Amino acid sequence: MRARPGVLFVVLLGGLLLVDLTAKLAGVGLGPIGGSLSVDRLGSNLWNGIVIGLVIGLAGIGLSMTYSILSFANFSHGDLVSVGAFSGWGVAFLIAGFGDVPVRALLTVRDAGSASPGDIGAHILTTPAAILVGLLAAFVVTALLAVALDRAFYKPMRDRDGIALLIASIGAALVVRYLLQFGYGSDRRGVTASVDASNLAFGPLGLSVNAHELTILVAALGLMLAMHGMLQHTKLGTAMRAMADNKDLALITGIPAERVVTATWIIGGGLAGASGYLYVLLRGTIQFDFGWLLLLLIFAAVILGGIGSVYGAIVGGLVIGVVFTTSTIWIPSDFNQAAAFAVMILMLLLRPEGLFGGVSTT
Amino acid sequence: MTADAETDPEPTPDDASETPPDATAGTDHAIDGDAILRIRDLDAGYGDLQILSDVVLDVADGEYVTIVGPNGAGKSTVMKTVFGLTTHMDGTVEFEGEPIHGLAPEQIIREGVGFVPQNDNVFPGLSVRENLEMGAYILDEVPEAQIETIYDRFPILRERSDQKAGTLSGGQRQMVAMGRALMLDPDLLLLDEPSAGLAPDLVSDMFDRIDRINESGTAVLMVEQNAKEALRRCDRGYVLVNGENRYTDRGEMLLADEDVRRDFLGG
Repeated sequence: MRARPGVLFVVLLGGLLLVDLTAKLAGVGLGPIGGSLSVDRLGSNLWNGIVIGLVIGLAGIGLSMTYSILSFANFSHGDLVSVGAFSGWGVAFLIAGFGDVPVRALLTVRDAGSASPGDIGAHILTTPAAILVGLLAAFVVTALLAVALDRAFYKPMRDRDGIALLIASIGAALVVRYLLQFGYGSDRRGVTASVDASNLAFGPLGLSVNAHELTILVAALGLMLAMHGMLQHTKLGTAMRAMADNKDLALITGIPAERVVTATWIIGGGLAGASGYLYVLLRGTIQFDFGWLLLLLIFAAVILGGIGSVYGAIVGGLVIGVVFTTSTIWIPSDFNQAAAFAVMILMLLLRPEGLFGGVSTT
Repeated sequence: MTADAETDPEPTPDDASETPPDATAGTDHAIDGDAILRIRDLDAGYGDLQILSDVVLDVADGEYVTIVGPNGAGKSTVMKTVFGLTTHMDGTVEFEGEPIHGLAPEQIIREGVGFVPQNDNVFPGLSVRENLEMGAYILDEVPEAQIETIYDRFPILRERSDQKAGTLSGGQRQMVAMGRALMLDPDLLLLDEPSAGLAPDLVSDMFDRIDRINESGTAVLMVEQNAKEALRRCDRGYVLVNGENRYTDRGEMLLADEDVRRDFLGG
């Protein structure tokens, strides 16, 4: 009952936007309402939103898991995303360009060399093995780093409250970010090569789908399904849900907390690394602090979905991704991040526990 | 609270000396034979706060023992200390001849002790079956036979096997909690206020179930607010006051004792 006026407002606003969208698609202009918008553009906006949303959701899984099992908001999660991107692409470059370009230039994702993305030619259609091994490397390296950070920073503070851990994680984030800058340099650079005929057009929808976007779709959905199977059908996954439910009871039930925590970092960190690697596949460029900048959207997705819920993080990621891209129909693209946060704030006002909060899905 | 009660004079100082000459309830806290749980001169608490002092308590193999006493007497603390959840300060806790004080709960489970805490004693987001499986986490394989045994003991749990524990009624949740603690077929089951929060008509049902668990050979150490019923059912009872032993005797002897009735059982 309390939330009724708010719900009414959101329904009215949503209805208005929908009417406006229909008018735009039909090419009808009624004063401020309507205008023109091609079905193609709407379709490509939605598709881009889904792809970005999958990447954000994949990264959000780890953030949500560490929140529910370790009870703190991990601000170093965004920099784990960056670590995955750099380490994974270093390995992908090494495989794709071995012999033609100095190894140091390859491992540092082209920082020490003058080779262009075209010279290395990393692309899913021309060097699929390199891209897939790179994805694996991104997962493994980031998972190892996440465990190392836990041993160094978070494990000694296990009994402290969430605020102390949150501040420690900001420190860890700064350490990781500037070590990345030290190792890889601070310039933004192109990574993926462009290949002719990499766009697969879906005629009737007028949708043009890039091979890299399809790769992200398949890889992200595959990792999410694996995550779901692990959580629901393995002993470790059940123990993770048990710890997220009730840590004290997990202790007296004989669940080895430290082993579950280590597994949480491996999986959560690994997925963050994988999502960073995939994000580069989407954008084509890499920069040492892009994960940190992405963290805000990841947090928005996780909060929207209900912090602590893995499934909420995925759905939240998709919502944020689609809002992020479709909002450009109405507002300049400089403001689309603001639109994503506006949706998150509306959600917090109407349903503070988030979409999946209190449903206890972990 | 504890300090106040210690310094306050008793309502009738003449009758309340350490061992009243006219008391019929016993004060011999140790038993003569072998005990699977043997607590001697135990001091324990939380951090720097000491709750228990010089507590002596025995549970014989297959015995059903109840701890009663006023609020804040340290009844639950005794259980938590046996299970390694408090700060051990002095004295010994032996289980089947081996000292277990200072061990982690995970190790104490392996020794053969199960614990059902009073509140939040199920994983609400896990199914009934998953709750039971977690009770046997330390085993390599899920013990299907033991799950069947527990389903036979609590048939409603078999029906609700795939339902999330958080959606069950209070009584059913209590069965899940007991089932979880019984998954490793413990020699000693610790029950903290098993009737708390249950509807009155379910309380006696719950006590019947505990009787049957005990009759199948599991020793039970129970803390219970429903002191009269608990003493009626158990083999022996301990009356704890201010973290110290006061009386120890067979349940019906404690029930019959006038001082115990007046001071601890509400007349």
